[in-house]
Amino acid sequence: MATLNFMVGQEQGNVPVTVLRVEGDIDAATHKSLQDKAAEIIEAGSTHILLDLGGVNYMGSAGFRAIHAISNMLNDGDTPGTMKSTHLKLLNPTDAVARVIKTLGFDVYLDIYQDRGEAIKSF
Amino acid sequence: MNEEPVFDLSVKARLDKLQEIRSFIDRVGAFLGVNKSAMGDLRLAVDEAVTNVVIHGYAQTDGIVELHMQADGDAVVIRIRDRAASFDPSQVKVPQLDTALKDRPLGGMGVFLIRKMTDEAEFLPLAGGGNEIRLVKRGVIQTGTSESMV
Repeated sequence: MATLNFMVGQEQGNVPVTVLRVEGDIDAATHKSLQDKAAEIIEAGSTHILLDLGGVNYMGSAGFRAIHAISNMLNDGDTPGTMKSTHLKLLNPTDAVARVIKTLGFDVYLDIYQDRGEAIKSF
Repeated sequence: MNEEPVFDLSVKARLDKLQEIRSFIDRVGAFLGVNKSAMGDLRLAVDEAVTNVVIHGYAQTDGIVELHMQADGDAVVIRIRDRAASFDPSQVKVPQLDTALKDRPLGGMGVFLIRKMTDEAEFLPLAGGGNEIRLVKRGVIQTGTSESMV
């Protein structure tokens, strides 16, 4: 059965940022493990998460359901005047994943970065 | 009548078969010469359709899902068949993309994605019970680029 691999790192932007790197295909069989991993990180005190999707070759709607749940777990408020999250951002999605992000309108909610340093500084 | 060969896959309707199903779409798509962008769209549409069959159709009880994939000129036609309870896609709400994320319900994006990723998506009841989802994507086969089936 397909599984996801995770790597977790701590960085310092304007606030402490947890970088959660995911590797594998995020589908209906695996998305719960992403949600569970994020819940574990949030339970341990993380309030700002940079989700690194550079190792994700496939993500279906279940992956977006997990991201939505993570955003809710962070008790996310929007940046005033926009619907952008201040607590959850995305790093380095593949072209295929980026296309689905746009199709589902998640680019309206989540900032997407290609550069890790720039992403961390943005929090 | 379409005389092109039909490529078939029959698997247990389980979420842990999704990767195998996506791999089948990739292999047949490469054999038919489907372009890379369309391959990603078909992989996504089929994954979402089978996920719905497993979760909503069979309600994660035992069942079989059959895939039939075929070229039709420059188009690809994929039929997904099950013996699960009937499914009415008109009852599925369209996600509100202009609503704040915290105000959107979780999930509910599968049928929306299936329709976005294909040119046609028909949900048909089968005689004797079950459903067929017929997906068509046009203008995606490049002629003269077929590879050997892996």
